[in-house]
Amino acid sequence: MPSMNSVLLISFLLFSIGVVGVLIRRNALIILMCAELMLNAANLNLIAFARHSGTVHGQAFALLVMGLAAAEVAVGLALVVALYRKKSTIQVDELDLLKG
Amino acid sequence: MEQSLAVIGSHLFLVFGLLALGGAATMVFARSAVHSVVGFLFCMLALASCYLCLGAEFLATAQILVYAGGIVVLFLFVVMIVELSKYKEQTRFQLHTPWAVGLVVAGAAAFIAVFWQTYFSPSAPQALTLDPTLAQGLDVANQNAQAISRGLYADFLLPFEILSVILLVALVGAVVLAKAERT
Repeated sequence: MPSMNSVLLISFLLFSIGVVGVLIRRNALIILMCAELMLNAANLNLIAFARHSGTVHGQAFALLVMGLAAAEVAVGLALVVALYRKKSTIQVDELDLLKG
Repeated sequence: MEQSLAVIGSHLFLVFGLLALGGAATMVFARSAVHSVVGFLFCMLALASCYLCLGAEFLATAQILVYAGGIVVLFLFVVMIVELSKYKEQTRFQLHTPWAVGLVVAGAAAFIAVFWQTYFSPSAPQALTLDPTLAQGLDVANQNAQAISRGLYADFLLPFEILSVILLVALVGAVVLAKAERT
């Protein structure tokens, strides 16, 4: 069994790569992928703690998170496509529709 | 035999975890969007292997099915629809928000400090271990799916139903959003 510390460290690093990606990239697609990455890092933690506590609840919850991630991707990609239709770009800093 | 298997398992976890980190880094720092998607795919497959090392067989399979089979293909489709040549990023990264980067660095530093404390300080609290004997309930390794279904349908029935409604709403919403506007 891997030690809990290594699991936590890897999931933390994955999560922070996701945060960094959301903050520094300007391509909406890659921002969406980074959000997925963060959800997966959380999933890794859930599974590790399920293993630690010896119950199956963490794994069941990770499954729910996975389904939610799929729903999020569907809506997010539809938004990206709609944005591209309207503005012909998916660079997030060129989208200033709310600016008065 | 058991002992050596456990050691191999923990090393395999580290190997796959590092591979996942590499895939994630490729995803964030790759120049072209297709390379990013491939890095994402690589990361998801490595994570599925990590789940396998943690004894979550069903979730590893679901991860491959949902991510490698579904989500990555969706991303590739959108990369195809959105003209790649059009969004040449002049500057790939927006580092003009230094406070955001500083916030991330501060958070990372805080976590590493806590981690360091638990690992190396003389008064380190007992680190959590993944005790195999604790995992008896999960260690129905060949019945992992059965155990999960019991947890999912007995204890998490309401969240499960809510999730199905969310999926339905997302389905309809995606169709409405992506539909061509009638002019």
